[in-house]
Parts: sequence; structure tokens; C-alpha cells
Amino acid sequence: MALKIIETCVNCWACEPLCPSNAIYEAKPHFLIDAKKCTECEGDYADTQCASICPIEGAILSSVGEPMNPPGSLTGIPPEKLAQAMAELQAH
Amino acid sequence: MELTVLGQDEQPEVKSGCSAGSCGSTDDQLNHLPEEIRQKVHNHPCYSEEAHHYFARMHVAVAPACNIQCHYCNRKYDCANESRPGVVSELLTPDQAVKKTKAVAANIPQMTVLGIAGPGDPLANPERTFETFRRLSAEAPDIKLCVSTNGLALPDSVDELAKHNIDHVTITINCVDPEIGAKIYPWVFWNNKRIKGKKGAKILIEQQQKGLEMLVERGILVKVNSVMIPGINDEHLKEVSRIVKSKGAFLHNVMPLIAEAEHGTFYGVMGQRGPNSKELQALQDACAGDMNMMRHCRQCRADAVGLLGEDRGAEFTLDKIDQMEIDYDAAMVKRAKVHEAIAQELEAKQSAKVQSGIVNVQFGEPAKVYRPVLMAVATTGGGVINQHFGHAKEFLIYEASKDGVRFIGHRKTDLYCSGGDTCGDGETVLGMTIKALEGCEVVLCSKIGYEPWSQLEEAGIQPNGEHAMEAIEDGVLAVYKEMIENGQLDEEATTQEKITA
Repeated sequence: MALKIIETCVNCWACEPLCPSNAIYEAKPHFLIDAKKCTECEGDYADTQCASICPIEGAILSSVGEPMNPPGSLTGIPPEKLAQAMAELQAH
Repeated sequence: MELTVLGQDEQPEVKSGCSAGSCGSTDDQLNHLPEEIRQKVHNHPCYSEEAHHYFARMHVAVAPACNIQCHYCNRKYDCANESRPGVVSELLTPDQAVKKTKAVAANIPQMTVLGIAGPGDPLANPERTFETFRRLSAEAPDIKLCVSTNGLALPDSVDELAKHNIDHVTITINCVDPEIGAKIYPWVFWNNKRIKGKKGAKILIEQQQKGLEMLVERGILVKVNSVMIPGINDEHLKEVSRIVKSKGAFLHNVMPLIAEAEHGTFYGVMGQRGPNSKELQALQDACAGDMNMMRHCRQCRADAVGLLGEDRGAEFTLDKIDQMEIDYDAAMVKRAKVHEAIAQELEAKQSAKVQSGIVNVQFGEPAKVYRPVLMAVATTGGGVINQHFGHAKEFLIYEASKDGVRFIGHRKTDLYCSGGDTCGDGETVLGMTIKALEGCEVVLCSKIGYEPWSQLEEAGIQPNGEHAMEAIEDGVLAVYKEMIENGQLDEEATTQEKITA
């Protein structure tokens, strides 16, 4: 059981100092979580720390591969609204 | 779409915000401040309107992490053409930041101020931020250090800030009411939890107010920035202004919301509009009754370099700095001379003003009051009308009235994006400029081409190149007097009244 950082990570460093297990490390092209070290904060915090500060929806996945912060959960932008706005921009 | 760490890629030209125009207060307003505070801000381009014509600033982007989310910010965004807060092209380590600061200070001796403003929240990156300050206060003692913050971590950082001789702090305070806060801040990270909605906003507001009080207690100057969001906090900002003033903030900077769908921010995507220049000015004037207002802010990037309004960041990328040999002791001597010369120039200007009585002039018959006129000025700095109309990326706006000449703000011709035809709707630059100058009746510049001249006239804006190389206030005043003498302001007074009625 471990969380995972994927390519939408913007390398903002917010999660790195919070990890109680020092499982997060800087890497190219983006930060990574050492699966052997990650405890999902069990025993340390009620909430997983990296996923609680990460500003990017979908950048951190749970142990079963689901986004810890699904689309719309952090920005408040309804996913369909975002898709519509992006489609309109593409059309121009 | 990511924050580039340490120059991994060659970055395109960096355009940064706070360009040679405006981030402060008018000199007239500074005159009301105690001498001690005036001494602290007289050469700070972001705090003094007058200083911003002469002195430069730079931001070093050492602070990528943030502890809150604002609806006007998108952490995924990095466009080199954008000049907005929170946008950077190259993230620096403290060591690189120190090197860059010294390189800029040696090459731009007018540089007086080093700020850390992001791209995240500086105090959410305490190690990087304070390591940078610690080293700079030892190695470059002639540079003023300042920091801007959302305030969440401020109470915990105040002692550390005081230790490093940081005597200017900017707090962004958009509200004092959690109901309103919940519409601006979707979440904060607090005590190891993400806290959403009103509860999160309440914590942020409490921390901001506590931080403000603690800074004032320690004699650290506090400027408050607020983002004006029409329909959300515009009316409320009058109360914010009153409260922060009563707690001892010395300057309030109300800035317009920047929101476009392509930025991918909540406000941008949801269609929240920013204020127009008239609405912004009206709110600034309404708040001004309560405190010193800053009107020259250029809302610069977190890696801006140079005079407000210009961005010389591209001259100081990491690979270029690596090639530079900097003798900082020699640079300090040169810098001191340049600063002294500017100080003398400002002093001479000030006493000339007092002698000629420009500060408060009456025109024509004492009983007659003429309506105020807005004029746009093209300048590259130095407080002089010295820029070709076609070269101006922004115009300073002055109001001439019975009370004399006052600085109102600035208008960017291309707003915050300089990508041109490649990333806009292809509207002509002249068309955008004319739109940006709405409400102005005159534009003063050193020279202007035939084509823009006639188009400006058609749009009701009189171009004027007769005051090239004159001090801005003198030029504006001369044109205003001329308008009065020509009777241009006689009849229109009634039409104007009708319009407002």
C-alpha cells in the first residue's frame, strides 16, 4: 500500500517536507514516492499529507490507482464546465 | 505546464509584470506619513509612486509551494508571455537566487529592492525563503529585503522575519468575512489537514489579521494587497481598507482581478469578470478616504526584474549569470553613487515643485471650477515624457483638476499578455491601445506616427508631442491650462453633468 505521484505533478515541492516517512523525493520530470517507504501516513496523521496539500487534481493516486483528489474537488470547477471552456478555446 | 526546476530547458524570453510604471503610492500621499516611514520607503519602487520612476526591483522565484488555493490562481500555469503574479519560468535554489540578485544589483545599480513573492507562498517555503534572506542580508547589505504572503503562516514567521532585517511585508487580504472568503479561497492547508469552505477561510482571515498586528507591533512596515473581484468583494474592500488601516498597515493596494478562461483558473473558467479601469479607480478613491492608496502596482510576475513596467528577466537567466564575474564590493560603491545622484535629483525636483507651487494651483477665475481631465503619458522612467507612442507597452494615467495633477494609475496596451497575434484574437495593437486609453482625452508622448495620430483623434483622444522631455506633471499641467484657455472645458462641463445625471 502506497500512494503514487503521476506526470501531472507540477513540481511545487509542497508535499515533500510533509511526508512523515521521507518517502517523497525530487526526480525528473516530476517528484516520486518511494513505494517501499510510503505508509499512507498511517499512525502519523489522520489524512495522507501529500494528498492533503497537493494543488493538482489527479496528480496523486491511491494504492488502487484512483485519484486522491478527483476532478473538481480542489478548484471547485465542475469538470464539464472545464471541458466546455477548453473546447471553446480550442475552437478559436 | 510545469514549474521548471533549475534551468533544465532553455526558457523563452521572460516578461515580467511590475514594469516601469507602477506599484506604490503617490508622493503626495507619502507626504502624510511620518518621517521615519518615508525614509524607509523613499527608494522602494513598490511602495513609493515617485520612487518607481527611478528605482528598480527584482523578485527571486525560490518559493514554489503554497498552503492555500485562490480562485484567481492556477498552479499549473507557466507561460513566458504572461506577466501576472504567480507566474515564473525558472525556479531557483537559494544559492542561485543570491547569485542572481548580486548579478542584477551590479548590472542595474538602480535596483534597491529584492522581494520574494512566489510563485507559491514564500512563508510556506520557510527554509528556502529564509536561507535566501539570511545570505543576502550578510552578502548584499545595501539591498532592501521584502516578502509578500497570503498570511496563513505569517504569525509563525514574524520573529524570523524581524531577525533578517525585513522591514517591508505585503499581505494579500481580500476579505475579513469568512462568507466572502469561501467564495475566494476553496481550501487552506492547516494543522495537517485540508480545510475547505467557510471554515478554511475563517482560519486564513484570523491568521492574516494576527500576522498584521504582530508585524505592526514590531515596527515592520505592512502593505496590504487586495484583489478586486466584482460582485464578490468589491464593496467589502472598503471595510477591509478601514480595518487594516486601523491596525496600522501603511498602504493599501487594490488591484484588478485578472481572469481569462485560458488561464484555467476558477474565475477564468466560470466567467467571473475583472473590474474595468473606471470601477477600479472608483473603489481606490472610495478607500483613499481611509488610507494611503497605491495606484502604480503592475501586478508583476514572481520573477520580475527591473523598473516597474519593464522586465529585464531575460538578461539574467541562470546560464547568463553563470558567465558573469561579479565584484560585489565594487558594485556596492557604484550603487551608492547612483542612489545618491537619484536622491539629489528627487530632492531638486521636490523643491522646484514647492517653489513653483504646482502642488496646488488654481486656474482661471477663482470662482470657476473646471472638470478634471484624464491624460495618458508614455514614459520609460525618470518622471519624464520621453517615449514614442508606438513603443509604449503601457501608459501612466494622470488626472488634471483644480487641485493640480495627480497620478491615477497605469494602463497596459496589451494587458498582461505579450504573446501578440500568436495567442490572441489578432486585434490590432493600435485598436487595443485605443481601447486601453478609454476615458483619456489627451495622450502625451515624445513622438507619434501619422496613422495612430489620426485614429486617436477619431477616437476623441488628442495626441500631443509638444512636451517631449518635460517632467510629466509639468506637461500635463500645461496641456490642462491650454484646454482651459481654449475654452475646451467651458461648454463640456454641462454635457459632462448631463452624462453623470
